[in-house]
Amino acid sequence: MHYFCFGLLLSFSLAAAPGIAIVLNSGDETLSLIDANTQRETKRVAIGKEPHHLMATPDDKFIIIANAASNELVFLDRTTGEIKNKVKNISDPYQIGYSPDKKWFVSVSLRLNRVDIYKPDNFQIVKRLSLPKAPSHLAYSPDSKTVFITLQDTNQLAAIDLETQTIAWKLPIGKQPAGILMTPDGKYLLIGILGENYVDVIDWRAKKRVKKIFTGKGAHNFVRLGDGKHVFLSNRAENTISKINMETLEVVDSYPAPGGPDCMDVTSDQRYLWMTSRWARKVSILDLQTKTIVKQIPVGRSPHGIYLSSHAPRK
Amino acid sequence: MTEWFNAWHQWLFEQVVQPALYRFGWMSFDEMAYDWTHLFLLGALELVALWIVIRPLELWLPVERWEDRKATRVDVFYTLLARLGILPIFFFIVLTPAFDWVNAEIRLAGIIPPSFDNLFLYLVILDFADYWRHRWEHRFNIWWALHAVHHSQRQMTFWTDEREHLLGQLIAAAGRAAVGLAVGAPPAAFLTVTLVTGAIESFSHANVKLSFGWLGDRLIVSPLFHRVHHAIGIGHTGRVMGCNFASVLPVWDILFGTANFTHAFLPTGIDDQLTGRDYGEGFWKQQALAFRRMF
Repeated sequence: MHYFCFGLLLSFSLAAAPGIAIVLNSGDETLSLIDANTQRETKRVAIGKEPHHLMATPDDKFIIIANAASNELVFLDRTTGEIKNKVKNISDPYQIGYSPDKKWFVSVSLRLNRVDIYKPDNFQIVKRLSLPKAPSHLAYSPDSKTVFITLQDTNQLAAIDLETQTIAWKLPIGKQPAGILMTPDGKYLLIGILGENYVDVIDWRAKKRVKKIFTGKGAHNFVRLGDGKHVFLSNRAENTISKINMETLEVVDSYPAPGGPDCMDVTSDQRYLWMTSRWARKVSILDLQTKTIVKQIPVGRSPHGIYLSSHAPRK
Repeated sequence: MTEWFNAWHQWLFEQVVQPALYRFGWMSFDEMAYDWTHLFLLGALELVALWIVIRPLELWLPVERWEDRKATRVDVFYTLLARLGILPIFFFIVLTPAFDWVNAEIRLAGIIPPSFDNLFLYLVILDFADYWRHRWEHRFNIWWALHAVHHSQRQMTFWTDEREHLLGQLIAAAGRAAVGLAVGAPPAAFLTVTLVTGAIESFSHANVKLSFGWLGDRLIVSPLFHRVHHAIGIGHTGRVMGCNFASVLPVWDILFGTANFTHAFLPTGIDDQLTGRDYGEGFWKQQALAFRRMF
């Protein structure tokens, strides 16, 4: 028993990390700031309506929060979580992303079935494109010429040519595609198939599926480990996390993830994976070595996006 | 208590609802279904709580005693449909595309309603809107044709609150959601106000000989105040076709000249039921006859 307690204490102290975690409580219109060291929520603040996803600016100074139902982007100091700026009149931003060359800023409107392309220096809209139902997540080609968008309710992948700002092509894929990620070699798109139990591997140049990687029910979203080789995938209905080798395109490990895992981030030492547990109203911390959940931190309703200020490299 | 409720919510969703969504290929609706599971649990808990509190009062202090309670059974069905989230989820699916579009256009015009951290303010606003919707249900014949389903209950109990025509409920839900959207009510605040309002409305329909006193009847709608609204010969007559339209706060009736503080526990129903007009006993007949009255 004592050994068990000691082990538990050890794992808690090891799980301690510098910096903060920012968690978006999409059902509460709030964000939770968590001290990553003490693993306690230090503040919960009103942020706007339906905050779902967040990302760092290319210079890594700010975190951008996309408030879908407030039509705005909120910029936070990435180390303190303090609100620094707000950009209004961004229509229904559900998922957002800068192109790798930083020339474009794309905002996906899940409910309004469209994609807006902005100039990132002044957030002026350049083009609004209508898409079939429920455009969801996005990824770019390495040359920044194409943005790929999953269409959750029509089971398709759409490719938008950013030079002509037109829909280049659409490809049928698995049921209810969600998270999407480009492999480091730029060859394949990995797509979490929420309505089934696998990742679709798409050769986007050949416009065809090359493989299904079976992971778990409700394959949803990705985060990179940071070694340039592995990526984690949340299986929302299976309550697991899969570790995928992006070179061999195989599942190499699996971890428990209670409460409907969604977005994730990895600590800078690559030892812990923090995830939002949507249905548990908690953030869960997974020890990747012992494969155990070492801590669950209560947050707000339907926590979605998560960001660690001290995170693993994004590669 | 909250922890316990959240744990049950999570369990029900993960063990029952989400597997069904996955099985039938509806995982796109998982967030909506999670909210619906919340609504279902809250509704079920509220119904149990209301039954525990109000039913003994109905037995102890009844206004009317009946040979049998057969006529009240259909009201139980209406209540389960509404309070267990079956109608709300249907309305949500029907109304969401239109609301998303309107919402987007309003927001694109730069209008983002502020959110207030004040539940009572939202209750007042939504109750005010309910007052006028209810008044117009009596004022306009085509709308009254639907609302008469509610008033045709002659054995009024706390189950009667949700006895409404489905089209009438859809219109009321759309109106209430529109007001909630216009004033920027956060989902949690909207839900809380809806639950509180629902509990008060159930109580005001109870077959209980109870008034809240001179002042109390002017502050919150009581069983006495609302029974006058349902009373034969009073509830749907006069210049504005009725009185005591408020759902929660009688102040609206006082302000707009429709309050009636008659201290009498009168029989409920619609005048022409006394001369034999049939409003139907079963659910489907009540729905069909309402459409016939409309046209």
